[in-house]
Amino acid sequence: MTDAERDPVLRRALDELRKLPAADAAAMRRVVVAAAAARVAPIDGEPIMLRPRRGRSIRMWMVAGIAAASAFVGFSLRAAWTSRVDVAQPLASPTPAGGARPILRAVSAPELEGAAIPHQFVLENTGAHRISIVGDFNRWNPASAPMRRSSDGLWSVTIPIVPGRHMYAFMVDDSLLTLDPTAPKARDPDLGTDGSIIIVGRP
Amino acid sequence: MSSVPLQFPAQAAGLDSRTLSRAKLGDIDAFTAIVEAYHARCVRFARAMLRNPDDAEDMVQETFVRLYRALPRYEERQRFEAWLFQILGNCCRTANTAFQRQASRTTRDEEAVERVPSLDDPAAQFDHEWSDAVRRALADVPEYNREIFLLHYIEGFSYEEVERMTGVKQSALKMRVKRASDQLRARLSGERP
Repeated sequence: MTDAERDPVLRRALDELRKLPAADAAAMRRVVVAAAAARVAPIDGEPIMLRPRRGRSIRMWMVAGIAAASAFVGFSLRAAWTSRVDVAQPLASPTPAGGARPILRAVSAPELEGAAIPHQFVLENTGAHRISIVGDFNRWNPASAPMRRSSDGLWSVTIPIVPGRHMYAFMVDDSLLTLDPTAPKARDPDLGTDGSIIIVGRP
Repeated sequence: MSSVPLQFPAQAAGLDSRTLSRAKLGDIDAFTAIVEAYHARCVRFARAMLRNPDDAEDMVQETFVRLYRALPRYEERQRFEAWLFQILGNCCRTANTAFQRQASRTTRDEEAVERVPSLDDPAAQFDHEWSDAVRRALADVPEYNREIFLLHYIEGFSYEEVERMTGVKQSALKMRVKRASDQLRARLSGERP
């Protein structure tokens, strides 16, 4: 018997607090409509999501990223102008005739537009049978990005992700969400638990 | 007023796993079943948790929207109700913080619970007075104690579950529940139950 059961005053208070409000069909309908409008159901086999889900934080990063990229382009063009090298030429290309090798490369158009950038995720786990990467970039759909295992127990996958801040985790054997030991973590507002954080495309 | 034996209602009102699995895949009918099963309990919890109980309906809606978006991440090893109330608790705490910051809004917990319609029937009036006294007393319990008290005694979660939900050790949880209970008892002892 607990303290609450022994104490008549507290027990009556609990009885009062346990009273359920009357079922409100209209309120429940509003809840369902609002929820349905806020979520697009994951579909197995669909392409990796190219639009970030968390509007506010992603937009802030995108704005910051574009601003930084613009500054980078400006700096690159200025450097190119002063050193008279072709800034659009990639680093791996042959050295220009003048002997000067470009130090900076121009930011490509897709980066400026926030297009997806390939990113490799790696996790060491020798005991798992199946691991996939799940995150807001693929609507937490385990079927979207299964990881491949190498002989030494390293699992990896490379997927395109739009620039910005993303939360993710590894789904191990279809049941266990595991954080990335190499990444910072943050509180997930939906789950109320931690998730790993990646920032893609940060200059 | 009839006394209800202490129990763990959270364990009694479980949804079957098929409904949850269908809801995870985006089945709106399954999600509707979840809303129907838990809406009233969520409203009860939110009204007791929020500094402005009038926001309870909105907060419950926000909780279910978050839940539906996060459902694909739900692990069925975790108890669904614990997960739902974890999200709801987060929403309520965030709302309370925002409410505190709104200098323009002057409604306080005490004022909110005082808005009880006047009744001619003495018995109904008596019930309302007691209900008012209980809610006013609960509103005075600090939020961090109130939440644990509600999760354990009203929503029926065990200390083990509350520890998993909040990350607070059981010894600390028991202390918080005891403090909340003592405070409620002290406040209500002078009232006519």
